[in-house]
Amino acid sequence: MERVVVLGGGISKFARQRLDGSPVDWIVEASMRALEDAGVDISAIDHSVVAYESEILARQVTMGQVVQDVLGLTPKPSIRVEAGGGTGGAALRTAYAYIRSGLCNSMLVVGADAVGRQVPASTVREVYALSGDVDFEMAAGGFFTAYYALMMDAHMRQYGTTKEQLARVSVKNHRNAISNPFACMPMAITIEDVLDSPVVVSPYRKFDCAILADGAAALVLATERWAREHSLAWKKRPHVYFIGSGSATERVRLGDRPQPYPGYAHFRAKQEAAKMAYKMADIKNPVAELDVAEVADTFTGVELQSYEALGFCDPGQSGPLLEEGVFDLGGDLPVNTSGGMIGQGAPPGGVGIAQGVEILSQLRGERPSTVQVKNARKGLMDIHGGTSSYAVVSIFSQED
Amino acid sequence: MVKVERKLEEIMVESPDGIGASDDEWAAFRRIEVIDFPLTFDFRHSLGKLSRFFLELENQRLMGTCCPVCHSIWLPPRTLCPDHHAVNDWVELGGQGVLEAFSISSYALGADSADESVVLAYVKLHGAKTALLQQLRNVPRDKQIEPGMPVKVVWSKIDVQHPMQLFWFEPDI
Repeated sequence: MERVVVLGGGISKFARQRLDGSPVDWIVEASMRALEDAGVDISAIDHSVVAYESEILARQVTMGQVVQDVLGLTPKPSIRVEAGGGTGGAALRTAYAYIRSGLCNSMLVVGADAVGRQVPASTVREVYALSGDVDFEMAAGGFFTAYYALMMDAHMRQYGTTKEQLARVSVKNHRNAISNPFACMPMAITIEDVLDSPVVVSPYRKFDCAILADGAAALVLATERWAREHSLAWKKRPHVYFIGSGSATERVRLGDRPQPYPGYAHFRAKQEAAKMAYKMADIKNPVAELDVAEVADTFTGVELQSYEALGFCDPGQSGPLLEEGVFDLGGDLPVNTSGGMIGQGAPPGGVGIAQGVEILSQLRGERPSTVQVKNARKGLMDIHGGTSSYAVVSIFSQED
Repeated sequence: MVKVERKLEEIMVESPDGIGASDDEWAAFRRIEVIDFPLTFDFRHSLGKLSRFFLELENQRLMGTCCPVCHSIWLPPRTLCPDHHAVNDWVELGGQGVLEAFSISSYALGADSADESVVLAYVKLHGAKTALLQQLRNVPRDKQIEPGMPVKVVWSKIDVQHPMQLFWFEPDI
C-alpha cells in the first residue's frame, strides 16, 4: 500500500461575518489556494470529501454535490462527512482511508460552515443542542456551553485547576492568532482581561470561548506516486506524510458515562483515538516525539482536558504544565500556533481541516518566525464532536 | 421599479483578506445583495420507543429501564443495555437522589424565564446506574450548590409545553 502525502493547504478567511459569499464560495477560495500550494491542476484530482456540520446553518442540503459542481469536478466522485465539531477531522480520516484503499489516488479535502453573524447566535445554540441528546437533555434546557462548563467545574473540583490557568489558554491562543492572517480574533490580552470579561456559564467567560465564525479550509492529499506525477511543488517542498489516524466514540450524555473514568471531567473517546493514532505512527512519548499540535479548544478548559486525554500529561497536570510554558512557543510542545478555535475561529467543518493546513505549514517551516516551531518534524491534530462523543486524532510527519 | 420584499441591503464588500481591488481576483464579484431568509420548521415528533418515560411523567412516575443480564438501572432509560446489548425492561424509581455535577447559566434552552439564572444538574436517583440532567430550582440563598447534595423530584402543578417540563429537582432539605 502506498503512503499518503499531504501536498497542499489553503484557508478562506475565518471571520465573525462574511457577507461576501456563501460556504460554497469560501470552499472554492480555500480549494484554489490549496491546489496552488500543492502545485496541482484541479482537473487531475480524482475525488473530493466535503465536510460541513449542518444543513440548517449552511442553508444548503447536499453541499458536497454543489461544491463538486461549482468547482467543475463533475463527474468525479465526492463524499460528504459529518461529525459535529469533529467534521473536519472525519474528512481527513476519510481521505486517508479512500486513498489507502485504492478507491482514489488523490483527494481534495474541503470543509466549511456558516455559524457567523448571518445566523442568530440563539439559532446556532439550538442547532448545536440538536447534536446532543434531544428528547431528554435539550428538552430540559441543556445546551453545549452548559455541558462543557459542567465538565470543567468537575475538573476544577477534582484537580484544583484554576480560572487563571483557563485564562492562560485564552491569552496564548489569541496571541498566536496575531501571526495568522486568516484568524478572526487576533488579540494581545492579559489574564486579567480574560478574568474581567463577562461570565457566560461559570467557569467560562467571554474570552474562554471559541468564536462562532464563517470560513473554509482545504487540503490536497494523494499517494506518493500520484504526487510525483502531478505536483509541480513535489521536488521543491519538504515532503509531509499522513502517518497516523485514530478515531473513537463515547456515550452522548455525560451522565451515562462510566465513573470514575471518564466521569464528568475527562474525554475518554479522545484518549482512545490518540492511542490508536500513536500506535499507527509509532509514537510512545507524545510530548517528546511531537513538535507541534493543534488541539481542540472549544473552550479554554477543553484544551487543558484534551492535553490529558492526548497523553501529554497525567490527569490534573494540564494546568500546572501550561503555567510552566510547556505548550507555549518555545516550550516542549507548542499548541495551537494557528490561534486555535479561540483565536482563529470555529466554523465546525473548516476547523479540523484548518488544523491540517497549520500543521502542514509548520512541518514545512513556512509559518512566520513569530509562531514557527524550529525543526518541526511531527505534528498532531485533535478535534472532536459533541462533548468528545466523537474524536479524531491525526498525525503528519515531515521526512526529508 | 418593482420592490423585492426580502431585500435587506445591497453593499460593496472588500476582500476579506484585505487585498486591494486592483489585485483582487474576485473584484467583479464584490457587489453583494443580502436578503431576509426565513426558515421555520414545525414537526410532528414521535418520542419513540422511550415514550413510556414521558407518558408516565404525567402520572408523576419516573421510569428507568433495567438490563435483564446485569440488572443495571438506566435513567435516562435506554432501549438496549449498552454493556450487554440486551433489550431492557421498564422499572420505576423513587424521587430522591444525589447531585453529581452542575452548571449555572444566565440562559438556557427551553427555560421558562431568562430573568434568573438556570441551574442544570446531573442527578443520580437512588437505585440508578446513570445520572439524569434536569433543572435544579428553588435553592435557598444561603445554600451552596455542590456535588453530593441530596435532591428530590418536584412535580409541576401547572400545564407545560414539553413532558420534560413536568418535573425538576430541588434540594432535599
